[in-house]
Amino acid sequence: MKNKKALNLREIVVMASISVVFGVLYLLWIFFGQFIQGILGPVGWGLLTGFWIMAPILCAYIIQKPGVALTAELIAAGTEILVGSVNAGVVLILGFTQGLGAEIAFALFFYRSYRLPVLMLAGMLGTFASFLTTYFLYGYSQYSPLITGLMLGTMLISGALLAGWGSKNIADALTKTGVLDNFALGKIRRTQRMKKDAISEHG
Amino acid sequence: MLEQYQMSSHFLQQVNPTMKLVSMLLIIFYMITVFDPYTPLILLVLTVCVIRLFGGVPLKFLLLILLPFSLFSISFIWINVVFPDTRGTTILFSIGSMPVALENVLIGVSLGLRSLVFASWSLLFVLTTDPTRFMLSLIQHCKLPPRFGYGMMAAYRFIPLFKQELNQVRAAHKIRGLGEPRGIKERFIEIKRYSIPLLASAIRKAERVAIAMESKGFDGNRNRTYYHVIHWSKADLTFGMGILFVFASLYLIRVNFSL
Repeated sequence: MKNKKALNLREIVVMASISVVFGVLYLLWIFFGQFIQGILGPVGWGLLTGFWIMAPILCAYIIQKPGVALTAELIAAGTEILVGSVNAGVVLILGFTQGLGAEIAFALFFYRSYRLPVLMLAGMLGTFASFLTTYFLYGYSQYSPLITGLMLGTMLISGALLAGWGSKNIADALTKTGVLDNFALGKIRRTQRMKKDAISEHG
Repeated sequence: MLEQYQMSSHFLQQVNPTMKLVSMLLIIFYMITVFDPYTPLILLVLTVCVIRLFGGVPLKFLLLILLPFSLFSISFIWINVVFPDTRGTTILFSIGSMPVALENVLIGVSLGLRSLVFASWSLLFVLTTDPTRFMLSLIQHCKLPPRFGYGMMAAYRFIPLFKQELNQVRAAHKIRGLGEPRGIKERFIEIKRYSIPLLASAIRKAERVAIAMESKGFDGNRNRTYYHVIHWSKADLTFGMGILFVFASLYLIRVNFSL
């Protein structure tokens, strides 16, 4: 038996394909987001940012191993570049920092806890990292602190709700279809189901 | 759509993808320190010319992509005018009771142009780099583990299949009478109705591909041979010199005009 914490090829390809799907969605979301930012400014943009942290949280929640969040976000960013992002360079840097942000949240709990509050924290750290990155990349230091503060607030809310709660919802719905039975999340759900069945049989 | 540019044999297409990636990141980090509007303007015009001349991409196509992006960059100007960190002293005119200062407009223009420089460099990379060559270069030159590199390439090949599958799911739902969504709530439910089957089939496909790869002897070992070997060539040297030249001349211009 090799190192249990290392990713096997099956997990890598599955993670990659989920991230590729999200990479394409991220790209569509950018067009939508830029439209919103053009009208509402950075605060409107803030509300949308959580969506970009979905791939790492979804993958980490499904596979539950170290390094998954960061790698998933890098793959999603890579896909955006391969498909033809207009903003490839920034996307790559953002992918790294966002993934790192989410990864830190899981590392704080030693990769043991994947309950909703942890996922929400991961989403918030992800959007926080995303805020810091755009702050430096696009020179937000030139704006009044009021607007950057508002932006950070909306981004954190978006990270908790869209990224944390939203990803958990999707993953749980996927578990019900049975495709995740070979992964950490599917296994946990199956043992829970079996325990419940055993109790109801004897009760 | 992009393939005709990515596959052509102009100068930029021959430069090593890793080289282009590193230069793109260098330019981005350099731009972070710049707050005057002239430096990004010079770089933007230069980059667009380089893509046109050495990448063989028609100017019309480039501008067509950059146009929607400029909407995003214009937002920097008005945000800087309305919500500046420190309001400038040279008042141009007032909108209502709000003075519009020249300094804030210039910084807004600079930040807007900066985002366009990022975009133009991204275009330089994306339009002149074949995705497969890029992944192979990452594996061969950047020490990306083959397990991840080839896993990602396999997943990337799924994208056209996803499109096909989305149409299938849509048709299947229609035939069962689920119909078109009305209102925001139904549209939201519709997104979930599509995304779960799509992701489920993506996961199934990925599992099968991984098993197939392993059964054909793919073990992710670094000591492997490659069908396509990405070489370093004279084009990379020329490109590197060009980047150095750009940085040097930008430095001189900025010192002489004290920007």
